[in-house]
Amino acid sequence: MTPALELRGITKRFPGVLANDAIDMTVRTGEIHAVVGENGAGKTTLMSILFGLFPADAGEIRVRGEPVRFSSALDAIRAGLGMVHQAFRLFPTLTVADNVVFREEPTRRGLVNRSESIRQVGDVAERYGLAVDPSAVIETLPVGVLQRVEILKALYRDAQILILDEPTAVLTPQERDKLFEVIRRLRDTGRTILFITHKLGEVMSLSDRVTVLRDGRSVADLITADTDPEEIARHMTGRDVDLDRRAPAHQPGEAVLEVSRLSATGEHGRSAFREASFEVRSGEIVGIAGIAGNGQNELIETVAGLRPPDGGSISLNGADITNAEVSTRRSAGMAYVPEDRHGVGTSHRASVWANLLVGHQRDPAFQRKGWFNLSAIRDHARSLIKTYGIRSGPIGAPVSTLSGGNLQKVVVAREMSHGAPLLIAEQPTRGLDIAAIEFIHDRLVRFRDGGGAVLMVSAELSEILALSSRILVMFDGRIVADLDPSKVTEAGLGLYMTGAREDGPDG
Amino acid sequence: MAEQVTAQRSPLASRVGAALSHPVVFSLVLAFALGWLIVYLTGRDPGFAYSEMLNGAVTGSGLRNTLGRAVPIIGMALAVSVAFRSGVINLGGEGQMVVGGLAGALVAIYTPGPGELVIPLAMLAGGVAGAAWAMLPAFGQTRLRLPILITSLLLNYVARAITGYLVRFHFLDDSVTLTSTRQVPEMARMPRLPIFGGVSLSLALVIVLVAAAWVVYGRTVSGYETQMAGLNGRFARYGGIQVERQTVGVMVVAGAIGGIIGTHMIIGDAYRFIDGELVVSGLAWTGLLVALLAANHPLMILVAGFLFSGLQIGGLAMQRNADVSWRLSQVLQALVIVAVASRLTFGWFKRQRTAPSEGELEPAAVGEV
Repeated sequence: MTPALELRGITKRFPGVLANDAIDMTVRTGEIHAVVGENGAGKTTLMSILFGLFPADAGEIRVRGEPVRFSSALDAIRAGLGMVHQAFRLFPTLTVADNVVFREEPTRRGLVNRSESIRQVGDVAERYGLAVDPSAVIETLPVGVLQRVEILKALYRDAQILILDEPTAVLTPQERDKLFEVIRRLRDTGRTILFITHKLGEVMSLSDRVTVLRDGRSVADLITADTDPEEIARHMTGRDVDLDRRAPAHQPGEAVLEVSRLSATGEHGRSAFREASFEVRSGEIVGIAGIAGNGQNELIETVAGLRPPDGGSISLNGADITNAEVSTRRSAGMAYVPEDRHGVGTSHRASVWANLLVGHQRDPAFQRKGWFNLSAIRDHARSLIKTYGIRSGPIGAPVSTLSGGNLQKVVVAREMSHGAPLLIAEQPTRGLDIAAIEFIHDRLVRFRDGGGAVLMVSAELSEILALSSRILVMFDGRIVADLDPSKVTEAGLGLYMTGAREDGPDG
Repeated sequence: MAEQVTAQRSPLASRVGAALSHPVVFSLVLAFALGWLIVYLTGRDPGFAYSEMLNGAVTGSGLRNTLGRAVPIIGMALAVSVAFRSGVINLGGEGQMVVGGLAGALVAIYTPGPGELVIPLAMLAGGVAGAAWAMLPAFGQTRLRLPILITSLLLNYVARAITGYLVRFHFLDDSVTLTSTRQVPEMARMPRLPIFGGVSLSLALVIVLVAAAWVVYGRTVSGYETQMAGLNGRFARYGGIQVERQTVGVMVVAGAIGGIIGTHMIIGDAYRFIDGELVVSGLAWTGLLVALLAANHPLMILVAGFLFSGLQIGGLAMQRNADVSWRLSQVLQALVIVAVASRLTFGWFKRQRTAPSEGELEPAAVGEV
């Protein structure tokens, strides 16, 4: 039988990086095919090439045996491909049906026939068991439903090959289980699913076959039933999996950050997290694990002063900062690497030096009576660029000219350069390549060894396990466990993260 | 292929091409070309009309008038740009100018004393009144979450009504048929400089204000913080910048500049506060257009302000001498802004001949979800 999809020798070079190096992959019709690899292994690049978002430098794509050449996503859609991106691409103020039929609207006498589009979208949703109300407005819907809308968009265009790019990152466990049901049902109707992930549990429970990418190459093509997580992980990392690679134990010192019974409200007026109590001591890294959307982000925002608390208290080096301004927290010794490095951690139209300065624009080293010492600011920026190996053009150029890894280095360099005793690092390595990840991990460990206190949130369990001195697990807005990383496995963490186990913050 | 074409061009041609690929330059050229066509279609001579416009703007008393009109245009452009650059959408320049203008006028008319004292006092009063008026929408936004965009715009009508009432029922000059205050006494009028046929001292004041803005943006903490807030509010908050407090400060500065310009219009130009006069002139809105054209850059505001002032003054001369309505000036202003706002460049037309870019395929990412 002709494979649904064949990739032969796909190669893509970005400035300084060989993102895809002669990748071969065969996807059989009617299978769920997982594509796994660490961040920076080339998964997203490969899928973008497959979906026509940018051209490969070399190589060939065949769909059902036919060589194809996509110059845009429209070509890919026409060839029967559908992609569900990590960041949803939906019009927030329009209805589900409007979003699904966009550019393919059913018309009557040249006008959009909305009742027809609602009927058609409802039909498609029902046929595949996707519970979605076609007339609901997008911005009122939870994330899990939005993902179904994205899947509906592909199915409405009769996509035979569906690409899902890390679809579970934003889902709750229940939503994830529903998604898996939908994916299996789609396979049973003869569709082909490409499932991109770096979570081994999902690979094992869902996929029929696995392609492993590492450093831009496809290093293994395995049948899921014949393999095990250790083998996949070995292929992903290129070495025997050392799940016990722990940062050496360190004697923690005094408590730097003390959070007591803290609660806050999230978007839409719902409680984001409740009664969170913990402390971070000097010389330790406290990792917060949890599936995205269980209150970690709101907790960090509240500690950082970007979200008002409903109750509880926060103190930094003994001083109460529960309701302090961000500037007060910063001068009291808080540094913060935020999750959203594009929207919060940097300002893309501002210059490199302006981005390296923020938070310290009122430090006496950089200004006197409100007048900038421009040469001190420039020297500081240049020395950070040098120390942290940031590849950038002139320091007056907008920071938008930097790559993702260099952008994150800008944030990390800025936050670590002022000797603040507390560093909050939220998803510090998300989306970075392996070299940048190692660099940042190394910096975090050095910061800890220098007596710094680190509060880290990460969706990467391997990162949490490798760096943390203690692990807090959040589920449904509560801290459900406080664990010693030497006595817990990834699977054990998973039980807490999905709410299957809990022993309370002091358990 | 495009590279070969560039390579074969003469240096002059490629320099012209480079200039045309700048959106502002391209917009100006496009607007004047379209204006040329419009005049041609009415059966007049476009070359003659444009040369009369130019002559009228820069020769004889035209130059003095151009510089004079540039004062409020540049001033109001500066006021609006101070807000825009900080991410505050202040559309209340007109109201701030009117309120400040009346306050300044009343101080100038009713305060006895020498000009050296009364004129600065009037300017101060105008600035304070404009700032106070601008604080209404500022606090509306920071305390009540009412968008400044809307409240500042609507308060323009309130400002017009209140000042009109005050003039009509409390400060009316019965000796004229206008709804107007008394005249500003000679002594309290803004002096004129002995250059360019006697331009107002306010021109120097406005240039100083522009230069001050330039220095503040380039060299001070406040300038940095306001710009960061304007570029990305979430980044600014994350960096410890108190965006709410800053919004009030920025509105105070913008309102003060508006009020000072309003006062200048009375004590340096009209010499009496006539109800509606400052509104009908549309100066605040011309200032807004200039700020847009200059992308809120202080020095570019000077250039663009003189340009628009020249267009308006030259347009009047063109109407007198070439029998082409001065409305053409407004058409040109509008065309420039439409072209700038649509980010049209020479390159845009070239791109249209190639395939659509990938960004047009899908709706923008919602991002937050």
